[in-house]
Amino acid sequence: MPGTILENLSGRKLSVLVAVFLIGQVICFLIGGLTAPAPASTMTILSTACIDPHPENTDPSRWIARDCKQKVELSHRDKIIDKHITAKDIVFVGAMPLGMPRLDFSRWQQNLVGVIQIDLLYEKELKLEPSIELTLNARLFYKNKGDTEWKYYSHAEEKRLMDCSFDYVEDANSEGYPYNCTTVPLFELGSLHHDYYMLNLRLPADKKRNNIGWISDIHLHVIHMNGGFTRVWLSMKAVFFPIILAIMTWFWNRVHILQRTPALLEYMLISLGGTLAFLDLPLEFLTLFFEMPYMLLLGDIRQGIFYAMLLSFWLVFAGEHMLINDQGEKNSLRLYWKHLSAIVIGCTSLLIFDLCERGVQLRNPFYSIWVTPVGTNLALSFIILAGISAGIYFIFLCYMIWNVFRNISIKRAVLPNMSSARRLHYEGIIYRFNFLMLATLICAAITIVSFILSQINEGQHKWDDSMDIELSSALFTGVYGMWNIYICAMLILYAPSHKQWPSDPICGENGEEVEFNRLPTDSSPNEISSLTSFASKAAIE
Amino acid sequence: MAQNKLVGPPFLGKRQFFNLFITLLLAVTEAARRSSPAGSWLRMGMLTSDALKGEEAPGCQNLPGLSVGQSRLCQLYTDHMTPVSVGAKQALLECRHQFQHRRWNCSLLDDVNVLGPAINIASRESAFAHALSAAGVTHAVARSCRDGQLQSCGCSRMGRPQDLRKDWVWGGCGDNLEYGYKFTQGFVDVRERERKYKRGTREQGRSLMNLHNNEAGRRAVIKKSRVTCKCHGVSGSCSLITCWQQLPTFREVGDFIREKYDGATEVRVNKRGRLQLGDPRYRVPTANDLVYLEDSPNYCVADPTIGSLGTTGRSCNRTSQDMDGCNLLCCGRGYNTLKTTIRERCNCKFKWCCEVQCKTCIKTIDVHTCK
Repeated sequence: MPGTILENLSGRKLSVLVAVFLIGQVICFLIGGLTAPAPASTMTILSTACIDPHPENTDPSRWIARDCKQKVELSHRDKIIDKHITAKDIVFVGAMPLGMPRLDFSRWQQNLVGVIQIDLLYEKELKLEPSIELTLNARLFYKNKGDTEWKYYSHAEEKRLMDCSFDYVEDANSEGYPYNCTTVPLFELGSLHHDYYMLNLRLPADKKRNNIGWISDIHLHVIHMNGGFTRVWLSMKAVFFPIILAIMTWFWNRVHILQRTPALLEYMLISLGGTLAFLDLPLEFLTLFFEMPYMLLLGDIRQGIFYAMLLSFWLVFAGEHMLINDQGEKNSLRLYWKHLSAIVIGCTSLLIFDLCERGVQLRNPFYSIWVTPVGTNLALSFIILAGISAGIYFIFLCYMIWNVFRNISIKRAVLPNMSSARRLHYEGIIYRFNFLMLATLICAAITIVSFILSQINEGQHKWDDSMDIELSSALFTGVYGMWNIYICAMLILYAPSHKQWPSDPICGENGEEVEFNRLPTDSSPNEISSLTSFASKAAIE
Repeated sequence: MAQNKLVGPPFLGKRQFFNLFITLLLAVTEAARRSSPAGSWLRMGMLTSDALKGEEAPGCQNLPGLSVGQSRLCQLYTDHMTPVSVGAKQALLECRHQFQHRRWNCSLLDDVNVLGPAINIASRESAFAHALSAAGVTHAVARSCRDGQLQSCGCSRMGRPQDLRKDWVWGGCGDNLEYGYKFTQGFVDVRERERKYKRGTREQGRSLMNLHNNEAGRRAVIKKSRVTCKCHGVSGSCSLITCWQQLPTFREVGDFIREKYDGATEVRVNKRGRLQLGDPRYRVPTANDLVYLEDSPNYCVADPTIGSLGTTGRSCNRTSQDMDGCNLLCCGRGYNTLKTTIRERCNCKFKWCCEVQCKTCIKTIDVHTCK
């Protein structure tokens, strides 16, 4: 009875294979750590406060550049009050990147996130609410090298919440001391297609809007991917993509050589490979030539599909080795609808949330779902729904894995009564099944640990640059490479084996073959995995 | 144990600053051969803003108070002189704010030393002034970087592709605050390195003290800056997180250095030419703490030789037990009380934007002035 390659592989070959995988893994870590810069950087731009010569003209494509004729120093209050300037006259201008025109954005930098920080100073007589609602009238313009005029990109009037606290004693002596305010996310550009961008920000003021104190400065922090990291990332994808395609073809050929229809696990494996190939497809290269603002959304969807498939695969993998053993229904997904629906619900709610946020951002880069109470509730309910589904999924998965291990331990108790050949065979299978369980657990653990590490690493904001390894990049490429290698390993090790078992290898000496022959899975040409059949047997016992 | 432990600077070997280092090295060796000039570079803070405006920055020879090394740096980084001047100015303003109720009130005394002979005494006040001015320049340079005014900071460094692989687009950009720190390290400290002193002498101790306090000032800016992070990964989750430094207001820096002034440590210079605790029972100062060599004069009576204006005529707070209380401020000489009626703008509300609503208050208050 033929099994999978994993079962028929000698220990030596298996160790060679594992060594190759490990080397690949180390290479992935090193590529990120040694050659790539950090995944993303920020640039902080102090906005220039300009006077709008025609505040009554509300044409959104009208721009005011940094070299405007009239500037105001907001710190010189007396001068401003004498000039009778009002809020609608003041435009905060921030040109990106700093140091333009010498420095320009590169398309390798992929996307741009803008965050503003408003400096407010304490005044005894003006009580600030702890949570301030800001009304921001923002316009975005772009320009390319050689252009003299700015071109209209987008505009919107958006509301944002800003929390401010005052950390000093609130008395007259503290006048001029700063409030500690949270930063305000402003925009998210899915594609960084042009060379220069410019923000014009107004804070209209009346009874209802922007009831705040005197702004002393507005800083604009823009986050972009680093071009070097994108290159390393895309090269990795470009390498993995053909490899995974080749392994998939090889795997499917193997399955088709056999005299049977492919088993459920094989279908799951090939689709898992497919989703990984879709994730690996280096579509981002196109952004170097075309403006594709939907790239962020597409990236989210690709990643979502892959994770959904991976989670389903684990479920089915555990299930197929656990024997909910009704012949006929065995090889179908229908058996797992209860478990899989948790994944489907979770992923769908995340997709809807993503479409609500990033989908709308395609039209209005300033949009955020978190601003209005309705939007916040909607977003939260989708995220909570996804969280609950994830919880249910993991309970299901743990329950199934626990069942598998219970079956295995039951079988282990019977092992000493078997013939030595059969015992070695089963021990090998159990060992390799555990081996793969272990691999999955290690991969998951590494992912979680590296996620936490990257958060800590950034949060500490290192000043010490003597270290040449870029940790966050290494973690990124390492984890990405790890899942690629993990799935390649699955495809290779779980492909059907050519090797035939010795015609009548174990049965015959004692009465065990009778039991085995009773199993319908054994007599049918089900070649999937002898572990499966072994497990079925255990269940019948 | 008694050695004054100076922790190394928080930024080590960053490629971008290599050029700056070389320049500084040249400036120092060059300057070492010449003599030190009179006066303080803080005079830059006395310049009117018009003097520094315009297309052409003023010639470095015309800038007051620069030492030889500093004028060399001025020639290389002409555009940095505006923030240096702004930094000196904000340091002087902040100094007066922090010391408005103390015996020594940071008054500007003369055109050469700015703060008068007080700065020549290796006292706490001098330590404070050095730290605050170094902090002022660090702050102002970092701020100017963010304004896009400087040619050579952050990513907009001229000749950037030379030491930054071109395709590694901006991954190696430094932080503006880091740049401000580095520049100030060169610009302010160069004065102390221009002359060689004999080991263990008072002059060498003074130089070490200034260097330590300058460092403390620069670090105060970094210490008070806040790290802010933003998640921007898949679906806005935290799979990618990016952090940056938020520049503090200079008031926060001033407060921090004032606290350090209150807790400054007395040190002395030992034979090996290092600073050492004056009293071994005290805690060893860190790089963030201020150190001084001599006790301060009490500044009670006017004495032009030590730069003291005396406290006669200063107004004081009758009820306070603190330094601003009449008891301490008047040095026990007693005070005069005068009843006066004042009209002033009060309860002012500054609203965005740009109106101010004030009431006029008429108050009858007792003004206490020191005898």
